[in-house]
Amino acid sequence: MKMEYTRYELARIIGARGLQISMGAPVLIDVPEGLINPIDIALEEYDLGLLPITVKRSKNV
Amino acid sequence: MARKDTVNALIRRGVSAKVSEALANANFKIGDLKKAPFELITQFISEEDAEELLKLIGAKKTHIDKDQLKASKKVTPKKESKKKVKEVKPRMDFKMPDKIPKMNEFEKSISAMAIKMGTPLPMALIQKVAAKINSLGMDKKELDIFMKEVVAIYKRRLIDSNESAGIVSAQSIGEPGTQMTMRTFHYAGVAEINVTLGLPRLIEVVDARRTPSTPMMTVHLKDNVKNDLDKVKRVASNIEKTQLIDVASVETDIENMQVIVKLDTKKLTEKNITVDEIKASLGKERKLKSDVQSEGKKMLVIKAPEVSFRKLQQIFEIVRDCKIKGIEGINRAVIRMSDDGYIIYTEGSNLAKMPELEEVDPSRTTTNSITEIYTVLGVEAGRNAVIKEAGDTLDEQGLTVDKRHIMLVADIMTNDGDVKAIGRHGISGRKSSVLARAAFEITSAHLLKAGLIGEVDALDGVAENIIVGQPVTVGTGAVNLIYSPKKRRNK
Repeated sequence: MKMEYTRYELARIIGARGLQISMGAPVLIDVPEGLINPIDIALEEYDLGLLPITVKRSKNV
Repeated sequence: MARKDTVNALIRRGVSAKVSEALANANFKIGDLKKAPFELITQFISEEDAEELLKLIGAKKTHIDKDQLKASKKVTPKKESKKKVKEVKPRMDFKMPDKIPKMNEFEKSISAMAIKMGTPLPMALIQKVAAKINSLGMDKKELDIFMKEVVAIYKRRLIDSNESAGIVSAQSIGEPGTQMTMRTFHYAGVAEINVTLGLPRLIEVVDARRTPSTPMMTVHLKDNVKNDLDKVKRVASNIEKTQLIDVASVETDIENMQVIVKLDTKKLTEKNITVDEIKASLGKERKLKSDVQSEGKKMLVIKAPEVSFRKLQQIFEIVRDCKIKGIEGINRAVIRMSDDGYIIYTEGSNLAKMPELEEVDPSRTTTNSITEIYTVLGVEAGRNAVIKEAGDTLDEQGLTVDKRHIMLVADIMTNDGDVKAIGRHGISGRKSSVLARAAFEITSAHLLKAGLIGEVDALDGVAENIIVGQPVTVGTGAVNLIYSPKKRRNK
């Protein structure tokens, strides 16, 4: 089953990936023309399910 | 706890607190004491005390032979260790009360369905859903679709984990609170009784004051009484505390060194009090040593035992304040008609005594004193009282605050099993983290004490992490990311 993220988890994932991209990390998608914002690129990557980042949840939650 | 129970049980029987403590420390229980030989008891308390104790608990004095005594001496330490083990075990005779009705088979199946879909539903929702399904009569396919929808809606309404719910609640109650100050400030009449409302009342509730500034009770009556005004009046006069001064004029006669009570027959019949009752209650006054003589039907005379103005004045005060009828703490009772028969509103509150009155319906009778509800009915009732009082106060001011914010406050206040105030002496002052306490109030005192005893701060809360300069464990800050390259290879 696909893990459902809370909004905080999603924000954190996109934020972390966006930072990586903004600092020059190789992008996992073919960036379309005009897509410049690293956050938008990170979102695109997330939507395509390419991000290798997940969340570690504590056991008691 | 068993130790404390023993102490309490002994004190109830009239044993002095010191003796009870000593016995409980020696691991005696009431049952043991009755059977225990005299010599064994005197090992822990003095002989006179032991004799009195046996009298009080109604046990015979038993003696044992000397060698038996020796044996018992050896046995005692063993007994102690055995008992300590026993205390850890759950008490078999103690049954947890289950006031919540158990789920029936159908509800259980619905609950199982929801869990299968990934979200367990709360009991209240399951009951509602079950009732709805039953009333509509669904087949299996419809039921499946219906449940899917229920679970989806429930999930959508659910708060995200790591949401800072407390801050949202605080703001949601605080903002309307600012409007309260600007509007009415003091009293408003409910059935001719003044009740504190508005901000002062809200502060009172949140501070968990021992007694509200205007305690008030709503007394509901049983079905056979509530529509009969005469009977209701009688009940009200039984509830209302009546002092002698309320039904008579009390005068001092300095010439003859006596106090004269002139009874008001009209008021007496109104309140249903006889002269004999007054005499009886005057007789019960312990401080009043002289006799009460009646002179005619309307007069009572109390003579001072010696010629002393001080004594006479004392007698006058005792007679004047003598309680004839009613319940302690209740100064006034007002009868009001409602849709559901007559209801008695009282100024002053004494919830514990109300069930003793036959005509009162204790299940619907309530008070605005939260502490009283807590002591009489328990924490859960206390929690509900906090929710009701805070909610009603806000409602009355025309402010809409979601009930769940208030429920959160009430939950926090009653979390430890008693009603705690929010503030220095309650929740904020008892946080486990030193830094959080220091951030709130009396900073240096907290830090100094923590330094002296070597407190450790686990940095679990928000305030601590802000002080240290770390991201707080709320919202995005509580999320831990991990790198999982597997996913990428699959794609």
